[in-house]
Amino acid sequence: MNMQLPASAGMEAEIRLARPQKAVRASDFVSRLQMMRTVIGAEHFALLRVGGRGLPATRKLALSLHNWAQDIDGNARALLEAYGPAMLAHLEESMLPLLWEGAGDNQFAGTGAELFTTRLPARLLPWSGIAFPVRLGANGNGYVVFMGSFIAPSSDLIVDMHMKSCQVLVDMLAGEEKKLAPAEALSERETACLQMAGDGCISEAIAEKMGLSVHTVNAYLGTATTKLDAVNRIQAIAKAIRLGYIT
Amino acid sequence: METIRSDVAAWESYGFSAEASERKSAREHLVQQLGHCADHAGLSKGLRALTDYVSASHYLLIRHDVSPEAGLEAVVASDWPFDTVRGVAGAVIAGQSRMSELDKCLALLKPRFCYLSEEAALPPGVSREYCVIAFQVGRVRMSLLLLFPEHFILSQSKLRDVGVMTGYFASVCCQGAIARQDREMDLTEREIECLSWIAEGKTSDEVAVILGISRNTINNYITSVMRKTATKTRSEAIAWAVRNSLV
Repeated sequence: MNMQLPASAGMEAEIRLARPQKAVRASDFVSRLQMMRTVIGAEHFALLRVGGRGLPATRKLALSLHNWAQDIDGNARALLEAYGPAMLAHLEESMLPLLWEGAGDNQFAGTGAELFTTRLPARLLPWSGIAFPVRLGANGNGYVVFMGSFIAPSSDLIVDMHMKSCQVLVDMLAGEEKKLAPAEALSERETACLQMAGDGCISEAIAEKMGLSVHTVNAYLGTATTKLDAVNRIQAIAKAIRLGYIT
Repeated sequence: METIRSDVAAWESYGFSAEASERKSAREHLVQQLGHCADHAGLSKGLRALTDYVSASHYLLIRHDVSPEAGLEAVVASDWPFDTVRGVAGAVIAGQSRMSELDKCLALLKPRFCYLSEEAALPPGVSREYCVIAFQVGRVRMSLLLLFPEHFILSQSKLRDVGVMTGYFASVCCQGAIARQDREMDLTEREIECLSWIAEGKTSDEVAVILGISRNTINNYITSVMRKTATKTRSEAIAWAVRNSLV
């Protein structure tokens, strides 16, 4: 493998995890991100994930993994203050990588595919960088960011890194969703009732279609609500869709 | 760098080192060509180039944010025979929308192979099997469907390249089309705010307290959401909002 190690790679930055409770899985992701960082020739990486549901205004990016050795809060705040809102807006409309140049001399950010990258305002941060937007869909969206003084990946490398960035976030999401699974699996009839309720049927209509009494249907919906740890039928439907029991 | 060595095997499967030197030029050439298409030649030329890159024969680009009943509205571009598109587009789109949200997120950029039904008319020499790659251009989910000659095996890594690059290309070329049909814009911020609380299992009374407005106002918001989204019950409205990742 033909890769250029940046000078700073020698004094390997200490790896810290923003979320210690996921340390076991996180270390695996960190080593993958470290490798990508080396290949792209950056000094630092950061993985940002979108938190919060609902209105775009209430969503925000949070630092999930990184390899900053010191002043983590300061660096994260600087990055999010400079580009956080722009990144969130970009995630809503495009898949193109974001690129910016840092302040000071000897800073360079350029690629072999200028048309397929979007430039952010330069000179807001002490380092240049490239950020790969990853939008998976309803969940697990975020950015993989690489920062350094000289960021100049070829178009070939960008496509490759973007693919790997997506894979990292997909794997993270897959790992998390396993933990979210309800304690007890829903029965076939509970799932069927929930599906019909989500499709706009009232209990009477569900009862008629399934050949059951209204009370039985309501009982199924009740047990499904309990199993999904929801407070009412509506929340149960929302959770069941997010967890993939119904569509 | 231990991290690099330990991960090399895992990365090679969808990565660079194996045929880097051979593939590099092809990929960079394609990016250049796409850049030219985005500038002058247009969507069809670019998709043609992407199709040729994987040695497939026909492309069909669809978007998933239009309702399944809309049929051909969802087709962005295609050089499939019109009768085939008319016959299969509806079924293909409906099939996609039956996947759960989580599965959709995890399937991003992963090439999948499906079969066309026996009735579908195909150009001579083309396989009934076709390949689907899904990607997100901002909020809009799109899929590229590729037909290819019979007894032909498409390269997995090239298909993944095409996923990312079609995403880039569509981010540049389809921007206008994407902005035009934004259903989310139909709902007001206040309505989405109500929806997100109700999806969390709150009753109208509780939401009224949380937002500091009357219960009747909340019910009016929900009624107006149900009217705008053509849903029959509150449950269906919430299900719609979850499916469209508004809450």
